[in-house]
Amino acid sequence: MRAVVLDNEAVQALASPDHDKHRVVVAPLAGVVTRRRRGAGMVAVVPTAVRVEAGRDRSDPRAAPINRFRVLDVALDTDLANRAARIVTGTGVSIADAHLGAVAQTSTGSDVVVLTSDPRDVVRASEPRNVTVVRI
Amino acid sequence: MMTALEVLDRINELLDAEDSSTVNTSMRLPTALRDAAALAVEHLAVAPSTTTLAAAALRSVLETAVMEAALQAHYRVHPEARPSLAEVALALAAQDGSPLAGRPDLIEQAAADVLARHPDADGDDVLLWAEAQQAATT
Repeated sequence: MRAVVLDNEAVQALASPDHDKHRVVVAPLAGVVTRRRRGAGMVAVVPTAVRVEAGRDRSDPRAAPINRFRVLDVALDTDLANRAARIVTGTGVSIADAHLGAVAQTSTGSDVVVLTSDPRDVVRASEPRNVTVVRI
Repeated sequence: MMTALEVLDRINELLDAEDSSTVNTSMRLPTALRDAAALAVEHLAVAPSTTTLAAAALRSVLETAVMEAALQAHYRVHPEARPSLAEVALALAAQDGSPLAGRPDLIEQAAADVLARHPDADGDDVLLWAEAQQAATT
């Protein structure tokens, strides 16, 4: 199973067809569909703290693309919050990036891909988990 | 009458519902398929039960269908949002950590070559062709 994780700007870009990186983010999601049609296990997810930072409310009609493309929330539960807190303390990254890092560290999938405009913080937050960073 | 988007939204709601209730459906399975599933559960450990195997397979198919339909609906409203086949292939190469991610020229050419013969080709077809072309020249 591969998890494709969206960062703040990826969420912004996906949610706004006028965003100059919109198609850049749609392409990997189209790739997810390509692989799923071939039987591969792939999901697209967004840590909820990232969605908060991006200011995207799923009940807002403008969130329809994220909802319809099945970019699933990963909630900040107690275990992830503890891990994210350690990441913030250890690296100084933002809360949203720490949640993203905690999601990457605990992902049970064989493979984590992060769509991000800030590869450095994503790598720091995710260590020691190796993630594939795709710069948008 | 539900619109196409309302159908997608409703299917998504149902897929996301935390509903542990079950229903005895009137769906009829071919006997041989049911027996094959039972054997796979018992001997290949593909799932804890034939019910969970069938439910997981159905969920996966529905999720993929909804995602694809959502993309197509989005492209109809925003045609400029539709990535080219080369762009999808490049995105897959990047996700795979493939060296081809650094060769957009090769992927562009491969997409053009593949599309000329196979209009329904997908991003993985392009990557395979690009990799073959690269191997042939090294």
